[in-house]
Parts: sequence; structure tokens; C-alpha cells
Amino acid sequence: MKHTFKQIFHSGKFVLGFCIFMALLLLVIIYPIIVTDDPLAIIGQGTFFPPGIYVNSYDSIDKPSPYILNLPDAAAKRIVSKLSESDRQEMKDWLLASGIPENEIDTTDTAKLMEQWETNYDPTKGLGMTYAKQRYYQRLDKSISGLLSPEGKIIAAQNPDTGILEQVGVINQSDYVNVGEVANVRVLMLGTDNFGRDMLTQLVKAIGVSLQIGIVAGLVATAIGLTLGLLSGYIGGWVDDIVMFFTNLFTVIPSFVLLVLISFSIGQDKRGATTIAIVIGLTSWVWTTRSVRASVISLRNRDHVNLSKLSGHSIVHIIINDILPYIASYVIMALILQISAGILTEAGLSILGLGPRTTEVPTLGLMMNWAMIYQAHILGKWWAYLPVLVAIALITFSMNLMNTGLDQIFNPALRE
Amino acid sequence: MKGYRKYFLNKLIWLLVTAVFAFILNFTLPRLMPGDPVAAIVARLAQGMSSSTGMKEVYEQYAELFGTNQPLLTQFFIYVRNMLQGNFGTSFSQYPRPVADILRTSLPWTIALQFPAIIVGWVIGNMLGALAAYLKKGFDKVLMPISIFVSNFPPFGMAVILMVLLGVNLKWFPTSGGYGFDLMPSFTWNFIWSVITHYQLPFWSIVIIAIGGQAIGMRSMSIYELNADYVKYSRFMGIKDRKIVGYVFRNAMLPQITGLALALGTMVGGALIAEIVFSYPGLGYTLLNAIMGKDYPLISAVTLIITIMVLLATFIIELLYGLIDPRIKAAQSD
Amino acid sequence: MKRTIFALSILVVLSLVLSACTPTQAPATQAPTEAVTQAPTEAPTEAPTEVATEAPVDANSLPRNETLYFNGQQWNAVVCWNPYSSNCNNAMALAQQDNARVPMFETPYLYNMLDGKQYPLLADGDYAWDEGMTQITFKIKPAAHWSDGTPVTAEDVAYTWASHIKYNTQFGASNKDYIDTIEAVDPQTVVVKAKLGADGKAVNPLLVQAYLSTNYVIQKAWTETLEARTGGDAAAFMADVAEDVVYSGPYHKFFSDDQKVVLIRDDNYWGQDASMFGKLPTPKYLAHVIYKDNAAGSVALAQGEVDVSQQFNSNIQVLWLNYGLPISTYLPEAPYGIGASLPTAFFNKNSYGLDQVAVRKAIAMAVDFDTIIANAMTNQSATFTQVPRSLMNPTPGEQALYDHDAVKDLQFAGKDIAGANKLLDEAGIVDTDGDGWREYNGQKLTYVATCPNGWSDWQAAIEVVAAAGKGIGIDITTNYPDWGVYQTVVTNWPLPETGYDIFMMWSDGAGPTQPWGRIRHLISSEFAETTNNWNGNWGGYINPEADALIQAIPTMTDEAELKAAYTELVKIYLTDIPSFTLMYRPQSFHAVNESVWTGFPHEGDGTNPPVPPLDLTDGWSIAGLYNLVLVNP
Repeated sequence: MKHTFKQIFHSGKFVLGFCIFMALLLLVIIYPIIVTDDPLAIIGQGTFFPPGIYVNSYDSIDKPSPYILNLPDAAAKRIVSKLSESDRQEMKDWLLASGIPENEIDTTDTAKLMEQWETNYDPTKGLGMTYAKQRYYQRLDKSISGLLSPEGKIIAAQNPDTGILEQVGVINQSDYVNVGEVANVRVLMLGTDNFGRDMLTQLVKAIGVSLQIGIVAGLVATAIGLTLGLLSGYIGGWVDDIVMFFTNLFTVIPSFVLLVLISFSIGQDKRGATTIAIVIGLTSWVWTTRSVRASVISLRNRDHVNLSKLSGHSIVHIIINDILPYIASYVIMALILQISAGILTEAGLSILGLGPRTTEVPTLGLMMNWAMIYQAHILGKWWAYLPVLVAIALITFSMNLMNTGLDQIFNPALRE
Repeated sequence: MKGYRKYFLNKLIWLLVTAVFAFILNFTLPRLMPGDPVAAIVARLAQGMSSSTGMKEVYEQYAELFGTNQPLLTQFFIYVRNMLQGNFGTSFSQYPRPVADILRTSLPWTIALQFPAIIVGWVIGNMLGALAAYLKKGFDKVLMPISIFVSNFPPFGMAVILMVLLGVNLKWFPTSGGYGFDLMPSFTWNFIWSVITHYQLPFWSIVIIAIGGQAIGMRSMSIYELNADYVKYSRFMGIKDRKIVGYVFRNAMLPQITGLALALGTMVGGALIAEIVFSYPGLGYTLLNAIMGKDYPLISAVTLIITIMVLLATFIIELLYGLIDPRIKAAQSD
Repeated sequence: MKRTIFALSILVVLSLVLSACTPTQAPATQAPTEAVTQAPTEAPTEAPTEVATEAPVDANSLPRNETLYFNGQQWNAVVCWNPYSSNCNNAMALAQQDNARVPMFETPYLYNMLDGKQYPLLADGDYAWDEGMTQITFKIKPAAHWSDGTPVTAEDVAYTWASHIKYNTQFGASNKDYIDTIEAVDPQTVVVKAKLGADGKAVNPLLVQAYLSTNYVIQKAWTETLEARTGGDAAAFMADVAEDVVYSGPYHKFFSDDQKVVLIRDDNYWGQDASMFGKLPTPKYLAHVIYKDNAAGSVALAQGEVDVSQQFNSNIQVLWLNYGLPISTYLPEAPYGIGASLPTAFFNKNSYGLDQVAVRKAIAMAVDFDTIIANAMTNQSATFTQVPRSLMNPTPGEQALYDHDAVKDLQFAGKDIAGANKLLDEAGIVDTDGDGWREYNGQKLTYVATCPNGWSDWQAAIEVVAAAGKGIGIDITTNYPDWGVYQTVVTNWPLPETGYDIFMMWSDGAGPTQPWGRIRHLISSEFAETTNNWNGNWGGYINPEADALIQAIPTMTDEAELKAAYTELVKIYLTDIPSFTLMYRPQSFHAVNESVWTGFPHEGDGTNPPVPPLDLTDGWSIAGLYNLVLVNP
């Protein structure tokens, strides 16, 4: 036994798979201890906030800044962020269309360009452009107005007695805040999703739930498959016929179709994560049964089994002592495969809107489903779906690696 | 040969029994779903209607038309009678379109997408797996983890990534439909080319995932066979390496062929994701919509087609096995 | 080996694909009469893939600069072209509704959502009520003719109505309580006689005049052909695929299969007469590719394969802000479109504690509507600070119908946790056993908020509604049954004791009977506690005072009186809160891609009367088709 473990941990593939798996598992266990937020709490008003550090702007301008940094490139950076190269080109196009000769326009001279723009631009002039273009210029005009002004911005507050706005402070262009001193800073490493939920917190929780679903589904499927396979393989005869009949029946009615039908019939209100897991397990035992049966058939005429039979041991005894140990390694590998298949199946079901109910727990499939419904992939909101996909792939990848590693240990023939 | 006839008859009887039960299940399962298909249709008609007695009349009219107001057993006999006449009935959700017409327009797309994808994935996967087993070393070390990683990508993930990368960002391939958005079906090069380009993304999103799984299986089987006693014995006997490798891979292929037969059963479910992501026409989405709309005749017809395909595929393979595989031959004489 | 297999598989694919397509070729040579003589059960087999016989043989592709592409209307293959059927799944050609879709079949009048008026189409000039408001008279335009060249006559209008009644179509059934007969006085003059009540007045004049812009005029001669081949069987009459239908509109079927529907312009269209548009609509083809879901449709819009998008494109502004695509919406900023309908959360009056106004009001007040609008609708709805809640949609016409100041104090904007708590405390509904949840008469208040599964924006909204419960000590959980189950439960009184305490349904959008029709559907007791109820008031609200006002409004003519009545209704609604609006939703979403076409309806585009942003096929918005020009001619 000890020897086997040693061998297992000498297999590079197994170790790699195991490490990835343990890393995910640790993340699932430790992260919630550090971040105790409800993974389904809606914190963002708006959809798909990009990953980053969110600094509360109210807190940052609350008091006069003690930090003044006179950085030489600050103004230039500010201009670049509002007026890109292509914006300048577009401004030139508009000015050209409005009749300014080309040699008078210099897109590199910001001050001159801005001045020409301010004197000439008229939002009511369509110039035969499409609405999309006209609105682009209106937005640009709004965003660059006052771009070159060196003055700060005034903060005003409403006087509670008179209701009149009164100046309470000024923010100058060279004022800075130290992020560490701002009362409210929130790091959203993976941004938010379409509900305005913190993606990372939700993802970690979802990995945990998906693992549970996979494990329950895998256990159910393996338990059924093993029992049926043992019975059918060892006893044979009419038991075998009946088991094989059901196995064939479940093969010809594809499990995924069956799964969709059942999940739909259960109804969303009763589809908890566990229910889904059990349903997945109930529809995926077929190939475990087939392979267990095949192994048992090849075992049942071996000498040690016959010996045991002659000694008058009961069927249960023979199965437990003389057959199970020989197929144990195989069953474990089948279980691992079933678990990873279960996770993939849950994801597949959820993407069709037939996964577990949304409000209780997040699952990887549900997160993917909502990201697709709100079109994250088209809008370039990669953080809403790519981490989910990678998480699924990593879980199943790690399990299959472990499986291949085990395969090489238990089947000496496969060893290099 | 007497043994084979017995084997054949045995398999045939089981085929028929399974077919009958599968047929009954195909009929019953959809009808056990909660909810009322007629209500769904009436709901669609309801928008803009304000007379509630009118609604009731419409409801009863449709319930009568679809026979959903009759007992399940009566419905079953009507269904069987229609089936025997080759009549799949009328779709509920796309009433008055007949089920046969819906199948005729969507089935060819599914077969055209899935059949080659499964075969190509199977062939490439097996070749890579065999190569990995035979060449070992670097090829194996690199190929294996990559195969495993890729085959573990969820199908919709692969589809979405291919679409975003190759369709939306690089614009190499069109992103949706079975043919150009501005074309009509015709026998022109323009149209055929359009079909081919639209085919690529859904096709490869299926193939790439299939390759990995097949490669892993084939590699294991090949290594197993390469180290089998008969190989050592043949080597000892001085038989040429080429010839031995031929034997080895033929033997390793046998279980893979079973896998191929079973893969046909996943055809409809497997294409579903690709169909949705790429708006590709086909049976998978038809089936999903039918389930959502509780379109009993359509669900039953689609599942029946799948059932028949898988049943025939496994039956043929079992028959071939009986002829080829010496182990099963031996069992026949038991 | 690999290459051979690949080449082989491509061949297999091709042959299969082509075999799938061949049926579309074959029927082109078939005489259309064959479909006519076929038994009705067989006829549909050929129909959906049939190519119109007059289709030019070489037109295998649609020239991009002659075709206007849509999305968001058609989600499945077209089933039939029969204007008597309401089950054709033919969103491109058939929709007899408040804003009737008129590219193929035409209504006497066109409703314009933006100014609330009905403009003549087939009709000549405005319609006129008689003295006692018992009948409407209108004329048919002399220029109007059918696609077969015969003139549109008053007899066609009358026969259409007679057929609706004879075969009990949906359109007949829903109007026969209000319209008595439609008669042709002479070939040009139509008289619509309203059903009269015991008092000798029309039961509902509003619905009578609405009929004129919601229902198509169908040719009498063709209807008779249809009757002849269906032998008077109502089911067969409505199930006929009507490939041979005669129409009066500017477009008709060119092609349809599982992947697209294409309409082609009829260059002989009567509307080019000076008495109507004076020219033909600009695009030669109207095409709609069938996408599987919104995401696929959005990709196509971004790729420039769709010109007019009527579907929900999440975060539409990203397409122009981040990607710089030539895409725009009716309004330049959020809410981007004009709200027309009010998706509403209903309270089940039989749920424990929900008979208490304080509880209903507290829940409604506590909901964070701004988050619903920002997240569920991605800001494509006006907020309740921009358009305070009432029973009206945000269009200026409806907003002017009630006295804003009179109900100001009642118009809660949401997220008022303190106010809601205070209200509950004052009503004596407090947490007596200290478990953090309030009790009413000793029983804990716990509710389930629900909407159909997969209705993404509604689900997101219900999540926010449920979150409001936490702050006010009322336990609200969510649940999403599948639509098939949901609809059966919600439309049949009584609602179950649990599971449907707060549930979402729709309300009417913009139309000629609005806002009266919407108010009636929301609160009239004629729908309360009924079964098979697809109209409204699913929570079972009964208020005789409101009923009396709803009864009276259709026959009111004095504007001040009308305004007072509407104000009173809003007051009742916001006081009793039998249900509450969660967001404003456009009649149809509207985004356009200007890479090929421009001249789409936009706010302030200078059209008079204004062209509403409705697909360019619905009601008066079809006028927009005549304004389109190519970006690069």
C-alpha cells in the first residue's frame, strides 16, 4: 500500500494534476475565511465593471488634499486620455467638412486644434454625416470642453437651510490622494458580473459548488455503475440480461437528452445544486456499468475466485474479497472521470438555462450562462466568462491528469 | 456458423425489445413533463386579445386539435397508428407545420456537421494517440497534457473562444448561420463557398475537443497492446516490426470503434452548443426548443431518430465484433 | 490519410447540405394551384421552403445596398402567410396589434406611438363618428389596389370582418363584444357599427376606433378562394398556409426557410400614388436572418449584417463608445429608447399579510429601482426620478394625461428603507419575537418573488426586489418556474397559497386605446379572480371606484374631465399599490447600424409627423422606409 502511494507520487502527471487540484481546493477553503462577503450580494449598480482598484471619489475629495505633486507630464497624460490620435483625426475630418482648408489644420498642435474646434464646431450641423457620426462629435465636444483650462474644479454643497449651492472646496489639477488614506477602497480583481456581483468571490464559491456537484454526481454514477456491473458480471444469466437491457436502453436514449428532459421536468423551483448532481449521476452510470461488467467477467473464472467458490463463501463475500480489490484501482479512476464529467455536464446544462436555481448558489455553469445572456463575449467583457472557462478546464484537467497518472501506476504495461 | 446464427438471433431479439421499450419511453417521457403545451400556444395568441371567453374557446379548440384532452393511453394508440403510417404528426410549437417538415430541414444540417466532425475527430485523435504510443518520448510528453487540457475545455467554451477570436476579432470566418446572410440556397460557387466558410467554426469547435479524448484512449490501448505477450512472441519469432505494429493498432482500434458507435448517440446533444453559439441550423436546437415548448410530437420524433441511429450503429458493430473478435467468437461456443 | 478523410468529409457535407437545400429549388416549377388542391394536412409540407414563383432565377444573393436587414422579430421558421391566422410565427409580415405591422397587409389607419394619432393608410382622410357615437364612417382611398391589380373596396373591409366572425378568429373573438357589424355603403365607404349598451351608447368606442389601425383589410376574392378550398372548416381556414394570398402592401414573400425570411418590394405598389407616399419605399428587399438568441443577433449587428435591431442588446453603448461602430439608438444617451410598456410586479392579495396596504407599500418603496434599471436593463429604461411612476408610459402624450402635482406625494422612487420601516412600525407590523423578521398578527412575513425562468431582465429585476426584503425585515426569496408552468398558474385564479406572492407580468405598451387599455388590464375587476386570464390584474385587485372610472373613460370627450379621471386612477393605484412598475420597457428595442443605410428615425430628425422607432414596419414607423438613403450611394 505504502509502496503504491510512493509510486503514485513519483508520477509527474499525477503530481501536477494533484497540485492544481489542491491549489483550487485550498482557494475554495481559504478565500471565504479572508473575504466573508456574501458571494451573491449585488454591490454594483451597473453591469460588468472592469477588474481594478475602486477608490471612493467622494472620500478622496472630502477634504483639501495635503499632497501636491508637480509632475511635468500630468497635463499631457490628461489630454491624451481624452483626445486620442484618432480623435484628432476625426476632428480634422469634421473641420475639413465644414470648410476649413487642410493646410490650416494641424492635428499635432493641441491648442490650435482645440481653438479651431471651439470656434467652428456646431452640433446642429449634420454635414451629411450619419447619426452615429454626428453623435460621436457631440460626445467628443462634451468630453474635451475645458480640456486645456488650468483651473481646478469647484466642489459645491447644498446649504441645508437655503437650498442654495455653496462652494466648499476646490480641487486643483496637481492635487493627489494617497490611496492608503482613502476610507473606502475596494479591490475587484475580476470586476463585476451582469448583476453587479463581485466576480472573484462568486467564482471561488462557484468552484466549490461545482466540485460538490461533480463529486455527488460521480459518487452516484459510480455507485450505481459498480453495483450493476458487479451483479451483472458476476451472477450473469437473467440478471445480466436485465441489467444489460437497461444499460442498452439508456445508451440508445442519449443521456444528455434524458438529462435535459428530466431537468426541465423537475422545474427550476426544485432544482437545487444537489438535485442536479443526483440527476446527472442517475443519467451517467451506463459506461461504468459496462466496463465494470467486462472486468468482472474476465475475473470470475480466475483460479482464486473459483477457489473461493469451492470454499463455500457467499456471493457477497466473494465479491468483496476476491473481486473488488482487483477492480478497485479501475473504479477509482472511473470515479475521477465521472466527477470531471459531472462538472462539465452541469456547465452544459446551465448554459441551456436548465442548471440549478440562480439565487441559492453560484455554479460555474450558471455564471457562464448569465455572462452569455448579457453578451459579455461580444462586448469584450472577458473577465465575466474567461475566468469561468479556465476554472472549469483547470478542474477537469487536473482530474484527468491524476487519472492518467494512476492509469500508468495500476497498469504497469502503460509505464514508460 | 451455427454459433454465430444464435449470437445474431440473440442480438436481434434484444435489439427489437430495446427498440420497443425505447419507443414507449420516447412517447411517455416528454408527456410526463409538467405544464400545458396548449396554454403556451394560447399565450402566444393572447397578446392584444381582450375577451376572456374568446381565449377559452381558442384554448379548447387547440386542446381538441392536438388531442391533449384525451387520456394518455388513447394518445399513445393514436401515436402508434400514425407512426405506422409514417406520419410524425403536427408540431405544437410550430403549428401547423408538420414534424416531418421540420426534421427534413434540420436533420441534414446536423448530420452534415456532426458526422464528419465525429469521424474526423476520431481519425485524427486515434492517429495522434497511436503515434504518441509508438514514438513515446518528447512527442508523448508534450502531446498528452495538451490533449488532456484541450479535451477538458467545455464545448461551449471552445465555441465561444473560437467565435470571439476567429470570428469577431480576426473576422476570418463568419459568426452565424449555415450560409451567408445575404444568400439564398442555390448551386452556385458563391453559395457553396459560403456554406464551407460557415461550416468551419462549428466544425472545429467540435473536432478539437473530440481529438483529445480519442487520442488519450487510443494511446492507452496502443501501449497496452504494444506490451502484450503476443507482440513479444512475434518479435521473438522474427516477424517484421511493420507487420506487428499493424496488428497492434488493429487490436487497439477495436474498443475505439465501439466508442465511435456510441459517439453517434451524442450527435444531437453534442451539436446543440455549437448550434446555439453559431446560430447554426440543426436538430439540437430544434429539440431544445421543442422541450421548452413541450412540443410532444417533435420531441418524440427527434429522440426516436437518435434512438434508431444509435441502436443500428451499436447493432452493426456488435455483429461485426461477432465476426472479427476472436474472444467473442470463443464465447459463442460456450 | 488525414487529408483524404478531410476532403471526403467535406464532400459528404456538401452533398448533404445541398440535398437539404434542393427542395427549395424544386417547388419553384410547381404551379401554385397544386398547393391549392392539396389536402390541407399535406399542403404545409411543401410550403415553408417554397420560392415565390416570380422570383428571378439568378437572384441567389441579395445586393447589400438594396436590402435592409432586421433582427429580433423572427426567432423561428415562418409557418404561414395567412392573415386570418394568429399562429403563423411570421413576425416579418403578420402582426395585427396596436402598432400593426404593415409591410405586406395593410390597415385602414396607421397608429403613431409618438403623437398618439391615427393616420390614414388605406383609408381616405380621417374617420368620423356619427352624432351619438354609435358608428364610424370612413372612405377607402381610390388609388388603393391589391397585388392582383383590383381595387381595394369597402366590401373587402366588410367581408374581412364577416369572416373573422364566421370563423371565430382571434381577431373576431376579441372585438365582437364591441363591434356589431362592418358594412359597405358603397364601394368606397365603410360604416363600422359599434355594439350598443342598454343606454343606447357604444359599449366601448375606444376599442371600435382602435380596430381601424390594428386589423388588416383582406381581399374578399381571396378569402372566398380560401373558403372554397377549406370547405367552411374553421380550423382548416386558419391553418391554411396561404401561399397564394393577395395583399395590398409594398412588400411580399420572396424567400423563407429555417435561416431567413426575405420580403421583396412590389414595384406596382399603390402607395406610390401621390395620395399616399408618392414614391416606393427605398429598400428593394427586407430580410431577417433567424438568430438563435440575442447574443448571436448582437454579433450580427456589430458585424454590420443587421441594419435595424429590435432585440435587447445588452450595454448597447459599448458598441459605439468602445468599438467606435456606426451604431446608434433613438436617443443619444440612456435610456436610448422610448419606454412604452411597464413590466410590473403584482401582489397576490390572498397571500398572508399582503392584504395590508402598509406591507405592500413598504415592499414597493424599499425596492432599489435604480439598480434594476442599471443592471437588468443596462440603463435602457428611464429611471423613476426621470419619469415618476403612474399608470402612464413615458411618452409625452400619456404623461400629459394626468395631473403630476396632485399625486406627487404618492410617487415613490424606491430604496426608501427608512420610510418603509417607519410605515411598517406605524402600522404595528413589527418584529415581536426578535428573530429579525416582522410578524403580522404573530405570523412571520415571508414571501416568494417570482418570474419565468430564462427571462433574463425580469429575473435580474426580481433578484433586486427580493434583496429589498432584508432591509425592512420581510423575508423574500426568489423562485423561477419554467414559463410553461408559470403561465398556467398565473393566468388561473386562485393563485397557489405560496410561491406566487410577488410575481412579474407585463402591461400594455403604446396603442390607440392607451393608456385606458393598460389601466383596465392592470386594475379593472373584470379580470380579477378569473381563469384563463391573459388580460391582467392577476393579483385579484378589486376596487369599485376604479371600475366606475374605467367604465366611464371610453365615452368621455371632455379633456378636463378625462384628465381628472386619469389623475384619480393614478391616485387610487399609487395609494392601494395592488402592483408596482419595476421599469419602463420600449415598445420594441431599436438600434441601427449605419454602415449601409442612414436616415433612420432619431430624436429630432425633423420628420413630421415624427416617425417612431419601431422597426420601420410597425404602424406609422413604416413611413421611415421612405426616408432611408444609402451612406455610400
